[in-house]
Amino acid sequence: MAIIELKHVHYAYGVGTSFEKQALNNISFSVDPGDFLAIVGHTGSGKSTLIRHLNGLLRPDSGQVFIHGKDLWSQMKDRRSVRFQIGLVFQYPETQLFEDTVGKDIAFGPKNMGLNEQEVKQRVQEALAFVGLDASYLERNPFRLSGGEMRRVAIAGVLAMRPSVLVLDEPTAGLDFDGRALILQQLEQFRIKSGAAIILVTHNMDDIAEHAQRVIVLHEGRMVLSGTTASVFSEADILKQCGLDVPQITRVLIKLKERGLPVRTDAITLEAAEREILKLFREGG
Amino acid sequence: MARDLTVGQFLPGHAIMHRLDPRTKILLTFFFIIQVFLAKSTVSLCFLIILLFLFIFFARLSAGKVFRAVRPMIPVIVFTALINIFYVPGDSVLHFAFLHITKQGLFTGFTLFVRLTVLIVGCSLITYTTSLNALAAGLEQLLSPLAHLRVPVSELSMTLTITLRFLPSLSDEFEQIVDAQKSRGAFFDQGSPIRRIKSYFPVLIPLFMSAFRRAFELANAIECRCYHGGKGRTKMNTLHFAGRDIAAFLVFTALFFLTIIFNFI
Ligand SMILES: Nc1ncnc2c1ncn2[C@@H]1O[C@H](COP(=O)(O)OP(=O)(O)OP(=O)(O)O)[C@@H](O)[C@H]1O
Ligand SMILES: [Mg+2]
Repeated sequence: MAIIELKHVHYAYGVGTSFEKQALNNISFSVDPGDFLAIVGHTGSGKSTLIRHLNGLLRPDSGQVFIHGKDLWSQMKDRRSVRFQIGLVFQYPETQLFEDTVGKDIAFGPKNMGLNEQEVKQRVQEALAFVGLDASYLERNPFRLSGGEMRRVAIAGVLAMRPSVLVLDEPTAGLDFDGRALILQQLEQFRIKSGAAIILVTHNMDDIAEHAQRVIVLHEGRMVLSGTTASVFSEADILKQCGLDVPQITRVLIKLKERGLPVRTDAITLEAAEREILKLFREGG
Repeated sequence: MARDLTVGQFLPGHAIMHRLDPRTKILLTFFFIIQVFLAKSTVSLCFLIILLFLFIFFARLSAGKVFRAVRPMIPVIVFTALINIFYVPGDSVLHFAFLHITKQGLFTGFTLFVRLTVLIVGCSLITYTTSLNALAAGLEQLLSPLAHLRVPVSELSMTLTITLRFLPSLSDEFEQIVDAQKSRGAFFDQGSPIRRIKSYFPVLIPLFMSAFRRAFELANAIECRCYHGGKGRTKMNTLHFAGRDIAAFLVFTALFFLTIIFNFI
């Protein structure tokens, strides 16, 4: 059974004022255990609004949100417990650190779950390891860490709740290439080891090419494309209309094809593209 | 929640009330406040209520919405009015143990209720029809003569403008941090008062950190642009009184005297 299922979700900000803005329009999709789903869209397309519906921070104007088959707003009494199952990491999560040690900050979520001290401690260490930081960080002041380290501590704070779906809003924003690759790799490891699903919100297509299995494209609050990563990237024209781009390697292949070379343009990872181009040489040579 | 107006919210528009110079609106609001306190008789109070509806009409707002926005303040208004009912001496209508309700008391209580409501609604109109930046600019110009008395008007107005500029950002950030901590299972507004205050630490600490960070960045940015005090600074959009402002002043003066005349009917 799907962990999360959205059916015809609509949401508007500022209803009844001149600022009224339909931020989500008829959104339906579902997430199964172990999925790696990417939500992409230009700035203002409604991505952050959408993820706030997944753990009950926002209530849809119409439509339903099901968590493990139960309607979040009519069949669930304890909506707070949903927040431990669907872990949300917001944009620039490092700005939300507040404790004086890294260990205490990561423990905030597990403590709110009412776990005993032993369990909390174990989860904090486990989460810290997932984001690639060693135990020496536990006693450090989070405000004295580098930006990248702070971000990893903040992500660990959500991982420590052992969510069955981890939702991340632009986790790589403002990081350099190595920092981005590292975080994505750690998330992928978390997904494989824990069996949790990951929903990654981004507008960087290179981020999702390597890992995402499915992609949803939002444009002005509507779902314009949805499907496997390769099938979505093959719609270069629609993506362009939505202000998005295909990954750099796919762009290279499309340009090659435009020049009349026989390459397939649905290669989205570096290895697949390499194979395609090497094939050219073999056939040509 | 977000569906209702809140007092103080700016609603852009092109009605006459929107197009008046902010200075005019500030001065006329003061005029109106004085008028409300001078109105004593039933007739002049009724006159004020009619005026209020006319103003709402000229601002192209919905009267229902404007009045509904005042709802949160009703308990305070009613409380003030009730106290007066019991404390004004005069001809007793009802009495109960040590409480006396008098005719005069009832009248004072009722007029006070009307006055406070009219006052709050009237003052809220200026905020619906004027952006905060326009208000700040108007206030600065009105206060500029004080600069001769060595009041640092331009620095004050710079501070005010910066504050107004960053309030929405801070409130967005506040909501964002509340959402983030809720996503980690934080709950607010539960348990003893001390618990409640403590439950806001995870929000307030990051908020202060970010406010300080912004302040340092802004200070650097301002210094990099060679700002040194506001003396001789000019404005991109200068304020100009138009014919309609003069008309508004004339109309208000007439209304002011009418209110006073109605006091004697
Ligand atoms: N609190 C709010 N009040 C009113 N309108 C809002 C609010 N939050 C977002 N919006 C509007 O809703 C739309 C969707 O915003 P949202 O934050 O979901 O976009 P996004 O896809 O996350 O963009 P970004 O990539 O810039 O983060 C935008 O047009 C935005 O202006
Ligand atoms: Mg966003």
